[in-house]
Amino acid sequence: MGKRILIVDDAAFMRMMIKNIITKNGYEVIGEAENGRVAVELYKQHKPDLVTMDITMPEMNGIEGVKAIRGIDPDASIIMCSAMGQQAMVMEAIQAGAKDFVVKPFQQDRILQAIERVLTRAGQQ
Amino acid sequence: MTDRGEMSDIHIDALQEIGNIGLGNAATAFAGLLNKKVDMSVPKACFLELEQVLPLLGGLEEVVSCVNLGVEGDVPATVMFIFTEQSTYRIVDMLMGQEAGSTVAMDALAESAVMEVGNVLAGSFMNAIAGMTGLTMNSSVPMFAFDMMGAILSSSLIASGCWDDRVLVIETVFFQEQEQEQEQDQIKGHFFLLPETGAVGRLFEALGLPAGS
Repeated sequence: MGKRILIVDDAAFMRMMIKNIITKNGYEVIGEAENGRVAVELYKQHKPDLVTMDITMPEMNGIEGVKAIRGIDPDASIIMCSAMGQQAMVMEAIQAGAKDFVVKPFQQDRILQAIERVLTRAGQQ
Repeated sequence: MTDRGEMSDIHIDALQEIGNIGLGNAATAFAGLLNKKVDMSVPKACFLELEQVLPLLGGLEEVVSCVNLGVEGDVPATVMFIFTEQSTYRIVDMLMGQEAGSTVAMDALAESAVMEVGNVLAGSFMNAIAGMTGLTMNSSVPMFAFDMMGAILSSSLIASGCWDDRVLVIETVFFQEQEQEQEQDQIKGHFFLLPETGAVGRLFEALGLPAGS
């Protein structure tokens, strides 16, 4: 059975792009959220194996989203996917509990490898 | 807001170089998104009257798309990307992997695609400058408008708080040159950085220059 992934990004276009990449590679997209608040709701509902999380979003940004989801599930696997790649931001995301940080624009392989690596490590726990 | 006469050549030079570095990174990101080579013109930093900005971009009635983002952190500012109507459609075609000419109008997905371009380019610009200066620069959620130039510029400038006699702009043109492509198939985009009053001083300090007046 393919691993189940929740995609979080305020841009419909980016959600579509990520969805295309990951479904072509055997993963299942169980939901899409346009901000952190919706991400938390969908996480509770579907308990995905992994979340891809944008940072700059209205209502609740990605960093807050990571904290909220990790508050519900300390083992949650979340990969940040953002145009904001400054060191301070990456540190903040990792400290909030993200397992990796992919800067946009990204090559297909980059995000696939990140997902694979995080899921493999999660499976080993 | 400093006056043209009070900003020395070295400050203007620094702003142009910042534009060059930041936008060079943005052009690289743009190329990554489109999977095509993207070039840019040498950035120009200057104070412009609003009336001087309009002719740069075509005319009051020309339809353009505008992605507008706020910069938060150490250098509060507004960033604007403006693309001609045809360039906008071209960008959507390329991002969606469609044949050139497929997009003839904007729908929600197309808008989202262009907004994401603005988001990535602005992010790239900010990451580069922040990396260089150690300053923090984060972007806000982008806004999108597809309308006549006059309407967009006036509302964007008012919203950004830069509605003044003169605005400081760093301006460049993104273009995509392909030997086979016709003039009308090229992508042309303008970038504007509109710093809030005092924000530029922070930038100069971080670069080791006197803050300017």
